[in-house]
Amino acid sequence: MARVELKGVNKSFGKVHVIHDIDLQINDGEFVVFVGPSGCGKSTLLRLIAGLENLSSGEIHIADRAVMDLPPSKRGIAMVFQSYALYPHMTVFHNMAFSLELQGFSKAEIRERVESAATILQMQHLLDRRPAALSGGQRQRVAIGRAIVRNPDVFLFDEPLSNLDAALRHETRVEIAKLHNQLGATTIYVTHDQVEAMTLADKIVVLKDGEVMQVGSPLELFDSPANEFVAGFLGSPKMNFFDGKLISREGDTAQFEGEGIHVGGVRLVSIEKNSGDNARLGVRPQHMWLDPEGPLRGTVTLVERLGTETVLELVTDKQTNFRYAVPEHLDIAIGDQTAFNFDANMANLF
Amino acid sequence: MTRTFKHVVLALIVFIWVLPFVALVTTSLRSETASKTSGFWQAFTPTELGQRFGTHDRDQTDPFVSMSGNIFERLNKNKDSFQISGDVQSIMFKGRLPDPDKPGKTKLIKKLVAAGEVMDVRGGEFVFQSNGDFTWTFPEETAPKPKNLDAFINQNPVFGTDAYVEVLFENENVPNALIASFIVTIPATIIPITIAAFAAYAFAWMSFPGRDWLFVIVVSLMVVPTQLAFLPVLQGFSGIASWATQLNAWMTDCEATQTCQVASKTFASLWVTHTAFGLPLAIYLLRNYIVGLPKELLESARIDGASHLQIFTRLILPLSVPALASFSIFQFLWVWNDLIVALYIGPADSSDLVFPIRLQKQLGTFKDQLHLLNASAVISIVIPVIVFLSMQRYFIRGLLAGSVKGG
Repeated sequence: MARVELKGVNKSFGKVHVIHDIDLQINDGEFVVFVGPSGCGKSTLLRLIAGLENLSSGEIHIADRAVMDLPPSKRGIAMVFQSYALYPHMTVFHNMAFSLELQGFSKAEIRERVESAATILQMQHLLDRRPAALSGGQRQRVAIGRAIVRNPDVFLFDEPLSNLDAALRHETRVEIAKLHNQLGATTIYVTHDQVEAMTLADKIVVLKDGEVMQVGSPLELFDSPANEFVAGFLGSPKMNFFDGKLISREGDTAQFEGEGIHVGGVRLVSIEKNSGDNARLGVRPQHMWLDPEGPLRGTVTLVERLGTETVLELVTDKQTNFRYAVPEHLDIAIGDQTAFNFDANMANLF
Repeated sequence: MTRTFKHVVLALIVFIWVLPFVALVTTSLRSETASKTSGFWQAFTPTELGQRFGTHDRDQTDPFVSMSGNIFERLNKNKDSFQISGDVQSIMFKGRLPDPDKPGKTKLIKKLVAAGEVMDVRGGEFVFQSNGDFTWTFPEETAPKPKNLDAFINQNPVFGTDAYVEVLFENENVPNALIASFIVTIPATIIPITIAAFAAYAFAWMSFPGRDWLFVIVVSLMVVPTQLAFLPVLQGFSGIASWATQLNAWMTDCEATQTCQVASKTFASLWVTHTAFGLPLAIYLLRNYIVGLPKELLESARIDGASHLQIFTRLILPLSVPALASFSIFQFLWVWNDLIVALYIGPADSSDLVFPIRLQKQLGTFKDQLHLLNASAVISIVIPVIVFLSMQRYFIRGLLAGSVKGG
């Protein structure tokens, strides 16, 4: 059982407190993605789990063992770095065999394990090459292969796709997902890319300024964000926010008024708020539709035609920017006045 | 600055740097006479020199009417090298001829006789050609004594390795100095670089209290000139030597044979001194290189389970080859060319003198034998050149290629 458990994890670099009291449970075989803007501490958290940084306080358990005092190699983890970190003077084979040699495996076993990892990653033909003779995608594959041969309890990925170009990124993402299904090992994956997070994760951990914002499955986070940050961070284009007032409140739904919108029965996220408080209405661009009678009015400032989707950038009379996305071609031009309606059931109030 | 101007300046710099070496090599390859009589720049063009030759050997007493020979053959008869060749311009005729002013009397005259002209030598007619062939004809069979004649010859350039043979094989000083220099230089290069590599890794990638301060101290030691430390270093060595002498006297029965004295100035003292004074720069250079290696590589190795020693031997050393090579060259050159440390701290036995001291001594003994002096100098230059060229292949760019993105 390779569960990973974080209890009250804190990390400070000198006076800078970068990780605040993080508690987290990662189940066996789960694919967990740490996501957040740069500087949110997601990589630091991963490095704490890997043992490359020392905890300031708290506990980390991997496979029900406290690992705080163990060196990285004894924690049962393998890590794939953003920059690949291949040993440039060794062939692919020796890159992958390095950890096994250090552990004192026999030559035959090393060869067997390296070759089986190479088969999984379909790179048997690359084993005799040096990293310099590989493409970016192949290098990343070697880095993954180096993790696989160690047969770890937990795989750690630190932004593994950031250095690849868009096409390769998609391809490798699919491969990582397949690999996870095949190996079934617990995986922790750090990224700032919400698409990677949404597509790969069983569970997403959204981090901001060293604190966990929300933990949940991708759709949970998408549909019922725990706060404005999570709502704004996930989803493309970003969620629209409109300033206004909370008129009245019935349990966990509330009535909102602002920017010409008057809507009731909206899910209230910030449950500490009461009627009369300032509030923001969050509506996803995909949850709106064109409606000449609609309450939401704006002027088109930009039209993005993506082929699969048309995204409009608009601005209200009160100079609030918002977006509208629809999977069809729209006959609309910059400067046009449009009106929208939206699904109050899908909206959130912050 | 225009391109041409840059090229001219560059060419000038190259010329200035190369000139002394060319002068050394040229002079060392010339004959003793040539190096004494003209500058090295004249070695490549024909030079007019006077050479004295005898017409025939003293023991050749058979009478003849006509004899023919060759001036160059005569000149080169006893020469293995620096064989003279060229054009015979003229021969200085010295002799008595009938005086035209005072009939019946003779007059001593000196004149230059050109090729093809007849001159009176011991009563015979002596004619020579510019290629050196000469004939000496008498009216009747005679057995004249050999005559020494002074020929002015436009000599072709000639080079030989006699000076090298002489310094290398006919005298033990230079070979001994070579061996002594190697005995000093090789350990004095390997020891500091080994220590420095370990230290540099520690300074770059291990965290221990006071690391940065210690590094600052090490680096600031670079400003301490060796000369400043001679006295304390010498005192230290002689202290150790007298301690060792006492120990020797106490442990063994050397007093009976009067061999208790342990020398304070030895090869080992040179190794220690060069190591000590080479280390700060070595640590500084290597640390700066090693700290620039990608952090992820080391972290990756840590995750793979490598200890510091394994990281050092299996990652850092192979990846630091260019830095190690460049420092070894620095240290090798510095120790090889060092005169003053060796003079003060090194062994003083004549057979143990290192090359620079030997050269300095030769300045005294060979001061009018430029060719020998220069041959020794060239030998001492050639060794570092060979070392440099053989290290050349370790200056590899792009050693980190493929390890990390952009690396």
